Amino acid sequence: MNVQFKKGVLELCVLVLLDKQDRYGYELVQKISDQIEISEGSVYPLLRRLTKEEYFTTYLQESTEGPSRKYYKLTDKGREYLHELIAEWNEFTRGVNQLIKEGEKHE
Amino acid sequence: MNKKQFLQQLESALQKLPSEERYDILQDYEEYFTIGLEEGKTEEEIASSLGSPRQIGKELAASHQIERASTTATASNIMRAVWAVIGLGFFNLIIVLGPFVALVGVLAGGWAAGGAFVASPLLVLVSNLANWGTFQWFDVFVSIALCGIGLFIVIGMFFATKAITKGFLRYLKFNASLVKGGLRHG
Repeated sequence: MNVQFKKGVLELCVLVLLDKQDRYGYELVQKISDQIEISEGSVYPLLRRLTKEEYFTTYLQESTEGPSRKYYKLTDKGREYLHELIAEWNEFTRGVNQLIKEGEKHE
Repeated sequence: MNKKQFLQQLESALQKLPSEERYDILQDYEEYFTIGLEEGKTEEEIASSLGSPRQIGKELAASHQIERASTTATASNIMRAVWAVIGLGFFNLIIVLGPFVALVGVLAGGWAAGGAFVASPLLVLVSNLANWGTFQWFDVFVSIALCGIGLFIVIGMFFATKAITKGFLRYLKFNASLVKGGLRHG
């Protein structure tokens, strides 16, 4: 699929993964790449940008296996933004699905 | 590519960032390698799944420069941001450089016209000194009127420059997130 398109969706994926629980970067990347094929390195720039825009806060937490990990936590502002994105996404996919359905009918 | 090479290439792509931020970014990728290794992946596998460190570095540098230009909009900061965004890809060369050159042209033209109008009484004086004996009161009155208009143009240009700078930075920001983050307002 188109790279630009996927990168746009990435933002939504990251936000939605953080909605219910805090996660660290590696975990986020793996969760997403299990479902969609992405360039894994591009998630970190996205995380930094969204943190700067105050959608996340970060904190360090020790892990049992090794050095401490940086966790991302969704802020209220981030959650609000997530809801906006979800609404946009639903509207978008509904439209596209409708077009696909109509296209297939004519064949 | 192994971990060391990846981090070195990323670091060299981030030379223009403040050391604190650079360190922070490298730390993130280091963490990524560490956890990946714990899960039994090789350094090479992790590096190739991350993608090109140079491209990652460019994206990070561009968003840093835009942010910097937005907080202190000096000409050199704006130039840096423009270059950084252009560096993201060929697509941006056209979509950023075109409007940028056009806007700089408009602003330069406006300032030049305003400046020349304001300076016109001086020019009349110089012209009269150079060509002695061609003095006309008409020139003096017209030049004073032009000077007045010029002052308004200069004041207008001052505000126009501010507004255009602000607008262009927003455009840059939108553009950078278009290239790396998709259409956020689409």
